Amino acid sequence: MVADPPLPESSAGARRRARLLAITLESRAPDRAAAWYRQALGLSDDDPLLTAGGVELRFTLGTTEAPNTVEPARIVLNFHVDDIRAAEARLVALEAVWVRELEHTSWGIIGTVLDFDGNCVQIVEPAPDSPPCLQRKEEP
Amino acid sequence: MATPTLGSILLGTSDPERLRDWYAAALAPGDGGGVFTEVTPTMFAGTFGDTSLLIDGRSDVAGTNPEPGRVVLNFHVDDARAVAEHLDSLRVTWLVELEEREGGLFGTLVDPDGNYVQIIQLGQSPS
Repeated sequence: MVADPPLPESSAGARRRARLLAITLESRAPDRAAAWYRQALGLSDDDPLLTAGGVELRFTLGTTEAPNTVEPARIVLNFHVDDIRAAEARLVALEAVWVRELEHTSWGIIGTVLDFDGNCVQIVEPAPDSPPCLQRKEEP
Repeated sequence: MATPTLGSILLGTSDPERLRDWYAAALAPGDGGGVFTEVTPTMFAGTFGDTSLLIDGRSDVAGTNPEPGRVVLNFHVDDARAVAEHLDSLRVTWLVELEEREGGLFGTLVDPDGNYVQIIQLGQSPS
Protein backbone atom coordinates (compact mmCIF):
# COMPACT_ATOMS: atom_id res chain seq x y z
CA MET A 1 0.00 0.00 0.00
CA VAL A 2 1.41 3.37 -0.94
CA ALA A 3 1.61 6.22 1.52
CA ASP A 4 -0.58 9.18 0.82
CA PRO A 5 1.31 11.85 -1.08
CA PRO A 6 1.15 15.37 0.32
CA LEU A 7 -1.62 17.50 -1.03
CA PRO A 8 -0.57 20.35 -3.28
CA GLU A 9 -1.50 23.82 -2.23
CA SER A 10 -4.84 24.56 -3.77
CA SER A 11 -8.30 25.82 -3.02
CA ALA A 12 -10.03 24.89 0.20
CA GLY A 13 -12.54 22.81 -1.76
CA ALA A 14 -9.85 20.81 -3.48
CA ARG A 15 -8.06 20.20 -0.20
CA ARG A 16 -11.18 18.70 1.33
CA ARG A 17 -11.80 16.50 -1.65
CA ALA A 18 -11.17 12.78 -1.35
CA ARG A 19 -8.45 11.38 -3.61
CA LEU A 20 -9.11 8.32 -5.70
CA LEU A 21 -5.84 6.49 -5.13
CA ALA A 22 -6.64 2.79 -5.52
CA ILE A 23 -8.97 0.37 -7.21
CA THR A 24 -9.63 -3.09 -5.84
CA LEU A 25 -10.61 -5.66 -8.44
CA GLU A 26 -12.12 -8.94 -7.38
CA SER A 27 -10.81 -11.82 -9.45
CA ARG A 28 -11.14 -15.56 -9.77
CA ALA A 29 -7.33 -15.66 -9.88
CA PRO A 30 -5.82 -12.46 -8.43
CA ASP A 31 -2.22 -13.30 -9.35
CA ARG A 32 -3.13 -13.96 -12.96
CA ALA A 33 -5.27 -10.83 -13.09
CA ALA A 34 -2.37 -8.75 -11.78
CA ALA A 35 -0.04 -10.36 -14.31
CA TRP A 36 -2.53 -9.50 -17.06
CA TYR A 37 -2.44 -5.81 -16.10
CA ARG A 38 1.35 -5.77 -15.85
CA GLN A 39 1.64 -7.12 -19.36
CA ALA A 40 -1.18 -5.00 -20.74
CA LEU A 41 0.30 -1.81 -19.36
CA GLY A 42 3.94 -2.72 -19.89
CA LEU A 43 4.73 -2.48 -16.18
CA SER A 44 7.79 -4.00 -14.57
CA ASP A 45 7.59 -7.05 -12.34
CA ASP A 46 10.18 -5.49 -10.04
CA ASP A 47 7.82 -3.25 -8.11
CA PRO A 48 5.48 -5.24 -5.87
CA LEU A 49 2.95 -2.43 -6.14
CA LEU A 50 1.02 -2.22 -9.36
CA THR A 51 0.41 1.44 -10.04
CA ALA A 52 -0.58 3.47 -13.07
CA GLY A 53 -0.46 7.22 -12.78
CA GLY A 54 -0.33 7.17 -9.02
CA VAL A 55 -3.35 4.90 -8.71
CA GLU A 56 -2.73 1.47 -7.23
CA LEU A 57 -4.46 -1.57 -8.67
CA ARG A 58 -5.20 -4.19 -6.03
CA PHE A 59 -6.55 -7.66 -6.59
CA THR A 60 -8.51 -9.86 -4.25
CA LEU A 61 -9.97 -13.31 -4.55
CA GLY A 62 -13.53 -13.24 -5.84
CA THR A 63 -16.48 -14.55 -3.93
CA THR A 64 -19.03 -14.78 -6.73
CA GLU A 65 -19.79 -17.84 -8.81
CA ALA A 66 -19.83 -16.07 -12.16
CA PRO A 67 -16.41 -16.27 -13.83
CA ASN A 68 -16.83 -12.98 -15.65
CA THR A 69 -18.37 -9.64 -14.82
CA VAL A 70 -22.10 -9.61 -15.56
CA GLU A 71 -22.20 -5.92 -16.50
CA PRO A 72 -18.83 -4.94 -18.00
CA ALA A 73 -20.13 -1.46 -18.83
CA ARG A 74 -20.78 -0.76 -15.13
CA ILE A 75 -17.19 0.25 -14.36
CA VAL A 76 -14.60 0.96 -17.04
CA LEU A 77 -10.94 1.73 -16.36
CA ASN A 78 -9.53 4.30 -18.77
CA PHE A 79 -5.79 4.14 -19.21
CA HIS A 80 -4.27 7.12 -20.96
CA VAL A 81 -1.27 6.40 -23.15
CA ASP A 82 1.05 8.47 -25.31
CA ASP A 83 1.51 5.77 -27.96
CA ILE A 84 -1.70 3.93 -28.61
CA ARG A 85 -0.21 1.68 -31.28
CA ALA A 86 2.35 0.36 -28.80
CA ALA A 87 -0.43 -0.17 -26.24
CA GLU A 88 -2.47 -1.99 -28.87
CA ALA A 89 0.47 -4.22 -29.73
CA ARG A 90 0.85 -5.27 -26.11
CA LEU A 91 -2.83 -6.17 -25.92
CA VAL A 92 -2.66 -8.11 -29.17
CA ALA A 93 0.36 -10.03 -27.85
CA LEU A 94 -1.68 -10.75 -24.74
CA GLU A 95 -4.50 -12.09 -26.95
CA ALA A 96 -6.93 -9.74 -25.23
CA VAL A 97 -10.57 -9.84 -26.29
CA TRP A 98 -11.45 -6.63 -28.10
CA VAL A 99 -14.83 -5.07 -27.45
CA ARG A 100 -14.01 -2.06 -29.60
CA GLU A 101 -11.08 -1.92 -31.97
CA LEU A 102 -9.05 1.29 -32.03
CA GLU A 103 -11.26 4.07 -33.23
CA HIS A 104 -10.68 7.76 -33.90
CA THR A 105 -13.17 9.84 -31.94
CA SER A 106 -13.49 13.53 -31.18
CA TRP A 107 -11.80 12.78 -27.85
CA GLY A 108 -8.88 10.90 -29.31
CA ILE A 109 -8.10 7.32 -30.28
CA ILE A 110 -9.88 4.82 -28.08
CA GLY A 111 -9.96 1.04 -27.93
CA THR A 112 -11.64 -1.31 -25.45
CA VAL A 113 -10.69 -4.80 -24.32
CA LEU A 114 -11.82 -7.16 -21.59
CA ASP A 115 -9.41 -7.89 -18.77
CA PHE A 116 -8.75 -11.32 -17.31
CA ASP A 117 -12.07 -11.25 -15.44
CA GLY A 118 -14.20 -9.64 -18.12
CA ASN A 119 -14.01 -6.03 -16.92
CA CYS A 120 -13.86 -3.35 -19.60
CA VAL A 121 -10.49 -1.66 -19.97
CA GLN A 122 -10.02 1.23 -22.37
CA ILE A 123 -6.82 2.61 -23.78
CA VAL A 124 -7.03 6.24 -24.73
CA GLU A 125 -4.63 8.49 -26.60
CA PRO A 126 -6.37 11.79 -25.96
CA ALA A 127 -6.82 14.37 -28.69
CA PRO A 128 -5.18 17.74 -27.97
CA ASP A 129 -8.58 19.41 -27.69
CA SER A 130 -10.35 16.71 -25.69
CA PRO A 131 -11.88 17.74 -22.34
CA PRO A 132 -9.39 18.23 -19.48
CA CYS A 133 -10.70 15.15 -17.70
CA LEU A 134 -9.57 13.06 -20.65
CA GLN A 135 -6.15 14.59 -21.05
CA ARG A 136 -3.19 12.46 -20.18
CA LYS A 137 -1.63 13.33 -16.86
CA GLU A 138 2.03 12.82 -16.20
CA GLU A 139 3.16 10.40 -13.53
CA PRO A 140 3.07 12.21 -10.18
CA MET B 1 7.02 5.35 -24.24
CA ALA B 2 5.70 6.71 -20.95
CA THR B 3 3.94 4.47 -18.48
CA PRO B 4 0.16 4.44 -18.96
CA THR B 5 -1.79 6.36 -16.36
CA LEU B 6 -5.18 5.49 -14.99
CA GLY B 7 -6.67 8.74 -16.19
CA SER B 8 -10.25 8.07 -15.27
CA ILE B 9 -12.75 5.54 -14.07
CA LEU B 10 -16.11 5.48 -15.76
CA LEU B 11 -19.18 4.52 -13.81
CA GLY B 12 -22.04 3.42 -16.05
CA THR B 13 -25.39 4.27 -14.51
CA SER B 14 -29.06 4.50 -15.31
CA ASP B 15 -29.30 7.74 -13.32
CA PRO B 16 -26.22 9.93 -13.87
CA GLU B 17 -27.57 13.02 -12.10
CA ARG B 18 -28.27 11.09 -8.92
CA LEU B 19 -24.82 9.51 -8.91
CA ARG B 20 -23.08 12.82 -9.68
CA ASP B 21 -24.90 14.56 -6.84
CA TRP B 22 -24.03 11.79 -4.41
CA TYR B 23 -20.30 11.79 -5.16
CA ALA B 24 -20.16 15.58 -5.06
CA ALA B 25 -21.93 15.74 -1.70
CA ALA B 26 -20.16 12.76 -0.16
CA LEU B 27 -16.59 13.15 -1.32
CA ALA B 28 -16.19 16.80 -2.26
CA PRO B 29 -17.88 18.54 0.67
CA GLY B 30 -17.81 22.29 0.60
CA ASP B 31 -17.20 22.27 -3.10
CA GLY B 32 -20.74 23.41 -3.85
CA GLY B 33 -21.14 20.70 -6.45
CA GLY B 34 -18.51 22.34 -8.62
CA VAL B 35 -16.33 19.27 -8.64
CA PHE B 36 -18.22 17.92 -11.62
CA THR B 37 -18.41 19.37 -15.09
CA GLU B 38 -20.81 18.35 -17.81
CA VAL B 39 -18.99 16.56 -20.62
CA THR B 40 -22.19 15.67 -22.45
CA PRO B 41 -25.81 15.97 -21.27
CA THR B 42 -25.54 12.48 -19.79
CA MET B 43 -21.87 12.40 -18.80
CA PHE B 44 -20.25 14.22 -15.91
CA ALA B 45 -16.58 14.37 -14.97
CA GLY B 46 -15.11 15.12 -11.57
CA THR B 47 -11.51 15.01 -10.44
CA PHE B 48 -10.55 13.35 -7.19
CA GLY B 49 -6.80 13.69 -6.81
CA ASP B 50 -5.09 13.04 -10.12
CA THR B 51 -7.82 10.77 -11.41
CA SER B 52 -11.20 11.65 -12.85
CA LEU B 53 -14.48 9.98 -12.13
CA LEU B 54 -16.67 9.87 -15.22
CA ILE B 55 -20.35 9.26 -14.60
CA ASP B 56 -22.03 8.09 -17.78
CA GLY B 57 -25.73 7.58 -18.32
CA ARG B 58 -26.22 4.24 -20.05
CA SER B 59 -29.12 2.02 -20.98
CA ASP B 60 -27.21 -1.25 -20.71
CA VAL B 61 -26.80 -1.28 -16.93
CA ALA B 62 -29.48 -1.92 -14.33
CA GLY B 63 -30.48 0.49 -11.60
CA THR B 64 -28.44 -1.45 -9.07
CA ASN B 65 -25.07 -3.08 -9.51
CA PRO B 66 -25.67 -6.85 -9.46
CA GLU B 67 -22.06 -7.54 -8.41
CA PRO B 68 -21.01 -4.67 -6.16
CA GLY B 69 -17.92 -6.40 -4.80
CA ARG B 70 -16.30 -6.82 -8.19
CA VAL B 71 -14.72 -3.38 -8.08
CA VAL B 72 -14.09 -1.17 -5.06
CA LEU B 73 -13.16 2.48 -5.44
CA ASN B 74 -10.68 3.48 -2.73
CA PHE B 75 -10.72 7.13 -1.74
CA HIS B 76 -8.05 8.47 0.57
CA VAL B 77 -8.91 11.30 2.93
CA ASP B 78 -7.05 13.42 5.44
CA ASP B 79 -9.50 13.00 8.31
CA ALA B 80 -11.53 9.82 8.05
CA ARG B 81 -13.47 10.45 11.24
CA ALA B 82 -14.62 13.85 10.05
CA VAL B 83 -15.51 12.37 6.66
CA ALA B 84 -17.49 9.58 8.32
CA GLU B 85 -19.36 12.13 10.41
CA HIS B 86 -20.14 14.10 7.27
CA LEU B 87 -21.29 10.93 5.50
CA ASP B 88 -23.52 10.06 8.43
CA SER B 89 -25.15 13.46 8.10
CA LEU B 90 -25.97 12.52 4.52
CA ARG B 91 -27.48 9.24 5.76
CA VAL B 92 -25.30 7.13 3.50
CA THR B 93 -25.43 3.36 3.62
CA TRP B 94 -22.40 1.80 5.27
CA LEU B 95 -21.31 -1.70 4.34
CA VAL B 96 -18.58 -1.57 6.97
CA GLU B 97 -18.50 1.37 9.35
CA LEU B 98 -15.22 3.17 9.87
CA GLU B 99 -12.86 0.97 11.82
CA GLU B 100 -9.20 0.74 12.70
CA ARG B 101 -7.21 -1.84 10.80
CA GLU B 102 -3.53 -2.36 10.32
CA GLY B 103 -2.23 0.73 8.65
CA GLY B 104 -5.06 3.11 9.29
CA LEU B 105 -8.77 3.75 9.33
CA PHE B 106 -11.06 2.09 6.81
CA GLY B 107 -14.77 2.21 6.09
CA THR B 108 -16.85 1.01 3.18
CA LEU B 109 -20.04 2.60 1.98
CA VAL B 110 -22.45 1.95 -0.82
CA ASP B 111 -23.26 4.56 -3.46
CA PRO B 112 -26.81 4.96 -4.82
CA ASP B 113 -26.12 2.41 -7.58
CA GLY B 114 -24.83 -0.15 -5.11
CA ASN B 115 -21.14 0.30 -5.95
CA TYR B 116 -18.74 -0.12 -3.06
CA VAL B 117 -16.68 2.89 -2.04
CA GLN B 118 -13.93 2.63 0.55
CA ILE B 119 -12.73 5.55 2.66
CA ILE B 120 -9.13 5.27 3.83
CA GLN B 121 -6.89 7.29 6.07
CA LEU B 122 -3.48 5.71 6.25
CA GLY B 123 -1.22 5.94 9.24
CA GLN B 124 -3.88 7.11 11.63
CA SER B 125 -3.75 5.96 15.22
CA PRO B 126 -7.07 5.44 16.97
CA SER B 127 -8.22 8.37 19.03
